[in-house]
Amino acid sequence: MENSSIEIKNLRKTYGSLTAVNDLSLNIGSGELFGLLGVNGAGKTTTIKMLSCLIKPDSGEAFLGGNSIITQSAEVKRIINLSTQETAVAPKLTVRENLEFVADIYGVPDRNAAVESVIKDFSLESVLDRKAKTLSGGWQRKVSIAMALVTSPRILFLDEPTLGLDVLARRELWTAIKALKSRMTIILTTHYLDEAEALCDRIAVMTEGCLRAVGTADELKAMAGKDDFEEAFIEIAERSKRKGAAL
Amino acid sequence: MRTIIFSKRNLKELLRDPLSYVFCLGFPIVMLLIMTIINNSIPPEANMTIFRIDNLSGGIAVFGLSFVMLFSALLLSQDRTGAFLTRLYASPMKASEFIAGYYLPILLLAAAQSVITFFASFIIAAVDGVEMSISGALLAIVSLIPTSVMFIGFGLLFGSLFNSNAAPGLCSIIISGAGVLGGIWMDVEAMGGGFRDVCMALPFYHSVRLSRNVMAGVTDNMGTDLLIILAYMAASFILSVRAFRRNMTKDIK
Repeated sequence: MENSSIEIKNLRKTYGSLTAVNDLSLNIGSGELFGLLGVNGAGKTTTIKMLSCLIKPDSGEAFLGGNSIITQSAEVKRIINLSTQETAVAPKLTVRENLEFVADIYGVPDRNAAVESVIKDFSLESVLDRKAKTLSGGWQRKVSIAMALVTSPRILFLDEPTLGLDVLARRELWTAIKALKSRMTIILTTHYLDEAEALCDRIAVMTEGCLRAVGTADELKAMAGKDDFEEAFIEIAERSKRKGAAL
Repeated sequence: MRTIIFSKRNLKELLRDPLSYVFCLGFPIVMLLIMTIINNSIPPEANMTIFRIDNLSGGIAVFGLSFVMLFSALLLSQDRTGAFLTRLYASPMKASEFIAGYYLPILLLAAAQSVITFFASFIIAAVDGVEMSISGALLAIVSLIPTSVMFIGFGLLFGSLFNSNAAPGLCSIIISGAGVLGGIWMDVEAMGGGFRDVCMALPFYHSVRLSRNVMAGVTDNMGTDLLIILAYMAASFILSVRAFRRNMTKDIK
């Protein structure tokens, strides 16, 4: 793909006898909101951890903004940011201090403007001076994502951003994520089918560490011959199981 | 620069924990007061000077530093519990910046604790009519720096190896050990035997003896004490760095 922001080539990661990610190859375009969809244990989080240089792949390679995750991890870390599955905030710092802290760690040039911008984008005004540990789960998640955005990353990883949130908090986060579209490349992992369908430009379906299909939600439905996205996902996942059994 | 930013964050986390004030700053003062009251209850003919304020201050200062180990362990183990460190591992921060960022603010806290302990000792000494040397106290504070680094190192080591439930428990055992084997509450030289050998093999007694001697302007055993403390300090530093680096990849699997 031309203008690729992320190029993944035969990425593989094993833990003992378990193959978490197997021979994954993908190209993700600049400004794309790309979804990694799969059930628990599909290899989505491991993929994100390899791409964000948190763990090294056993084999294969990936380039983020043209930088290798293996030999140029320092360069990669400068252009990415990550919002993990669990909330990643400093508990005794206020919301503003958390944002300023991350901005300073990345050396954001106009830190105050960047902080004010994410405060506005995420409507954090009402909780700015509260310590992060005193916030509800939904607010903490919002702050955690805002902390990833304050550095204006070229590539943003959102690992299960709405996991454990109630329906209102989830919808609110969807709105915030939609507003980020085309401002940066976003890789979003989720096991919520409606979330992937509603938010992502393209979706990769993963099961058992393998990539099973890639396309828009409509393309995936067409591939599976189903009108409903959930049915299409199940069909794709079961097809791969049947293939595996036949082999 | 990132070291300073991370240090500031850690200092804020420490200073916003009320237990830091209770154990790191309040506790040594309370101990000084209690032990002085006990000392004043001992009849002069017993000729027991171990709880006299000029002897006590060095011991309490070392005992107080053992609580700094607990706070180091708590800070790191709690950071490891959540995903906060994972976020930072994915940032441009280097391992050396993490380690320095943990050491520096805790060292500052340890220095503040030592200053407060000796300052309180001066007030008690003045009330009790015991003479204490200001230059001796200042030198004693300096002599406690390697001990502070050692306790921080052990705290960070336990914080790296154990979770936030187990690490404080282990630190409590060592705090108790430091109190008993450091000769703070008893005269190790007078006890002799295997107990003395154990005390001599561990750093706590040497730290207490060094700070007491420096306070009193006595140079006996200074080289030996300093050498043993520095050896433990180096070991705790190396082990804490290795454990932290190992966890940088282990924690995020």
